[in-house]
Amino acid sequence: MGQNGASELLPGTLDLLILKTLVAGRQHGYGIAQRLKDVSEDVLQVGESSLYPALQRLLLRGWVKAEWGASENNRRARYYTLTAAGRKQLAVERQEFDRLILAIHKVLNIA
Amino acid sequence: MRQLFPRVWYLFRRRQLEGDLAEEMAIHRAMKQQELEQGGLEPREAMSVTRRALGSLALAQDRSRDVWVPRWLQGLGQDLQVGARMLRSTPLLTTVAVLSLALGIGANTAIFSLVDRLLLRTLPVKQPERLVVLSTSQRLGYLAPYSFATFDQIRQSQLFDGALAFTNCCLKSALTIGNETQSVDRFFVSGDFFTTLGVRALLGRLFTPADDMPGGGASGPVTVISYRLWQERFGGAASVVGTLITVDRTPVTIVGVTTPEFFGVEVGKTFDVVFPIHMQFKTRDSIYYDVDTPYLNVMLRLKPGQSLAVASAALRAVQPQIRAAAMPRPSNPEFLKDPMMLEPAGAGTPALRQRFERPLVMMFCIVALVLLIACANIANLQLARGIARRHELSLRLALGASRWRLARQLLTESLVMAILGATAGLAFATWANRALVAQLSTFATPVVLDLAVDWRVLAFTATAMVATALLFGLAPALRATRAAPVDALKEQGRMASEGRAALSSGLLVVQVALSLTLVVAAGLFVRTFERLGRVTLGFDRDRVLVVTVNAQLVPDGDRNRLYHRLVQTVAAVPGVAHAGGSINPPLVGALVGDVVVSPPGTPPPPDAQRVSQVNEITPGWLSAYGTAIRAGRDIDDHDTASASGVMVVNEAFVRRLFPGRNLVGTTLAVTARLPPNGDFLIGSKTVVGIVSDAVYRAIRDPVQPTIYMPLAQWGDNALPYTNFFIAAQSSTPSPAHLTRSVAAALIAVNPDVSLTFHSLTDQVNDSLVQDRVVAVLSGFFGGLALLLAGLGLYGVTAYAVARRRTEIAIRMALGTAPAGVIRLVLSRVDVLVGIGVIVGTGVSLWASRFVAALLYGVEPRDPATLIGAIAVLTSVGAVAGSLPAWRASRIDPAVVLRES
Repeated sequence: MGQNGASELLPGTLDLLILKTLVAGRQHGYGIAQRLKDVSEDVLQVGESSLYPALQRLLLRGWVKAEWGASENNRRARYYTLTAAGRKQLAVERQEFDRLILAIHKVLNIA
Repeated sequence: MRQLFPRVWYLFRRRQLEGDLAEEMAIHRAMKQQELEQGGLEPREAMSVTRRALGSLALAQDRSRDVWVPRWLQGLGQDLQVGARMLRSTPLLTTVAVLSLALGIGANTAIFSLVDRLLLRTLPVKQPERLVVLSTSQRLGYLAPYSFATFDQIRQSQLFDGALAFTNCCLKSALTIGNETQSVDRFFVSGDFFTTLGVRALLGRLFTPADDMPGGGASGPVTVISYRLWQERFGGAASVVGTLITVDRTPVTIVGVTTPEFFGVEVGKTFDVVFPIHMQFKTRDSIYYDVDTPYLNVMLRLKPGQSLAVASAALRAVQPQIRAAAMPRPSNPEFLKDPMMLEPAGAGTPALRQRFERPLVMMFCIVALVLLIACANIANLQLARGIARRHELSLRLALGASRWRLARQLLTESLVMAILGATAGLAFATWANRALVAQLSTFATPVVLDLAVDWRVLAFTATAMVATALLFGLAPALRATRAAPVDALKEQGRMASEGRAALSSGLLVVQVALSLTLVVAAGLFVRTFERLGRVTLGFDRDRVLVVTVNAQLVPDGDRNRLYHRLVQTVAAVPGVAHAGGSINPPLVGALVGDVVVSPPGTPPPPDAQRVSQVNEITPGWLSAYGTAIRAGRDIDDHDTASASGVMVVNEAFVRRLFPGRNLVGTTLAVTARLPPNGDFLIGSKTVVGIVSDAVYRAIRDPVQPTIYMPLAQWGDNALPYTNFFIAAQSSTPSPAHLTRSVAAALIAVNPDVSLTFHSLTDQVNDSLVQDRVVAVLSGFFGGLALLLAGLGLYGVTAYAVARRRTEIAIRMALGTAPAGVIRLVLSRVDVLVGIGVIVGTGVSLWASRFVAALLYGVEPRDPATLIGAIAVLTSVGAVAGSLPAWRASRIDPAVVLRES
């Protein structure tokens, strides 16, 4: 497994994963990467060069909001929060993703 | 492009947002490192693991930026920076280019905004394209007036989606608020005027048909005031609705205020107060205006989908019924005999448009040509710059830049110049516009235009900017893409420069040709203006003071007597040699209808020659103006209302209507002939004097038959004209000195009159304002074109000399004298100028037909003007070429040959 596992994800999947991660509550970039890593049991290791462009993309589309705040151990950190539009987008992308996975399954199971 | 707003927002806050991102990533790293250290790694080890785990920081930042700003746009920013640096590196060239662009684009913008306001824009009303104005098939110099009875019949015909009537214009009312009285512009409208136009009130309400009743509607006599008056006199207070004010001694209630953009239905005019038509009857002492009096203009709103032709046909079909129902008593066979016509009125009534259309279009062509010349000039400068940068461009190509990238770089530079020019041009245009309108607006015919820069003007400027950038930037950019990478290695690439020379020579020929055309035009207009200034006016312009008396507060019935008393008072003021008064001022005589004459007792034949210049004057008027009496006598104090009718005519009247006859003593029946309304007998008048021809309306008008009638013999006891013009001829050469004493004397007679003073010289100058503006502007732009052509010739010749330094040095070393070198250089300039002059002469001769209507006393193909222009252009070419030629002749062959 390469270090930048995320770059081998299906296109757009990282956005979906970030949105999903933020459902639990606001989180900073490191926290998001950490959580993706933990939940995926170290399969998804997201580097900065994927994570931050993705976050910027979500900001641009208005699906997340960013604000500076203090982290658990009292350090400055930039926290991302899911917006209402982001929540809606998550549902849409989730559906789309399920459809895609199903399709891939079908193709793989033909043989 | 989606998410435009956040993207733009990003651009503005870019520095901060990028800082945020960098900080965020640093924190990310610190957290990662901390975690690793807590896992037991050495700090240094932790740092390197972190770096490896997280990838390139720069790449992350680049990718994040790409999210917000597309790649191509980032390149643009770079192009702009490089472009700005290039332009700064040649400040003189850049300044010349930007200045000529600023003048060119600015002048185009200024003229465009006038053209737009006066010729293109529609009225600020609902669906203006469906508005038409009623006129006759006869070509008149004014909008045909109709009686209220006619309007009422058309309104009731139900052929249209609405009909409205309004009084032509220009009369003033005395508005009294508290004990302060001022003169205001007013007009009368039918009750459905505002609803038919689809105009809404800013405050209160506008008129309803119920207001337009004799004695007023439920609210009594009412008025609607303009936004301007509301702001100036009432400070914009909302309480103005319901206020009682006094207009011409009649109390009226303000019911509403119009919106700021509504100026009436005539472009260039404005109003302060509007009244219902029936107020006309109320504010007057006399019954001068009754339902049969023709004084209204009629506008109609077509039904949706109804074409002009269909509507005209429908109207003509019922014309006999309208005619029968609206026939005045006693009946008049000429009444409404001509077929009625409809003309589009969506852009307002045509008065000002007709006046300014030709000169404006002409100026538009001139400034467009100037901009073209400026473009040719800058294209040449850019080509020269391109050659100087050939090395740089080839190097960039060799290093892997794409040709498109290089062309884009050069185009961006052109765009930067165009943007600078357009910005400065817009500022120049704003100033120039105000100056132009101030020039064109005279006391007699004021022009009021809203000159705010709006999106239409901005769009025009932007289009001009992009078009010019493409015009002058495309050729150099395309040429740059043809540079070969290998050129970077060579010191001198002759192939490229040969091609360039042909292109730049072509551009120069175009410049010279267009400049010649502009210089010819300037010459023609300046000569026209000069000729107009020397026309024999038929009166003494230097010693006459004209007093405009405004007597709105004087009852109609007292006015005639008062006017005569005022004239006698002025005549008695020390320093006044002669004094006289008239209803029409000189040089702005209004055309309101024609007069025909016939032997007494016989009706004038339908084809009788019309006399359109008629003036009512007092005794002394002819002497005051210095108009010579050729035969018979002047009007005198014995020509009163009770005496038999007399008149004085000019020589043109005799020449045209009664050639060869001695007319003094002949009695003629004088009949007013108003095209839509038929004939009206004024009375029998005996010709008592013949006077010399004098300019009546406009200096450039040919001399027309003119009739002068004694004001004392005005047919009605009531005189509706509230303006009266007294001429005082000074016994000294400076009439302005009389102002104070004349004013004091007049106020002593009647303190209710308001006075305005002008010298006749001013009035003559005012009447030539349009010609003066055209002459000054065309002269200015002709000069500018010459300057640009000179600069272009100089630049290209200087460049050619620099390129041929070695060749010239060799020639000199081989024995060519300095004079021979000068000839060598100048021969090229001569060829360019020669071809340019030939082409330019052709263009000028072809274009001359378009200026003919604006000229006076000079032929459109005037050979002297053409030869003069060619001489001027050739000498400019000689001067522009001789400086580089002289420099070439000073080349020291030894130095140059050693260098190379």
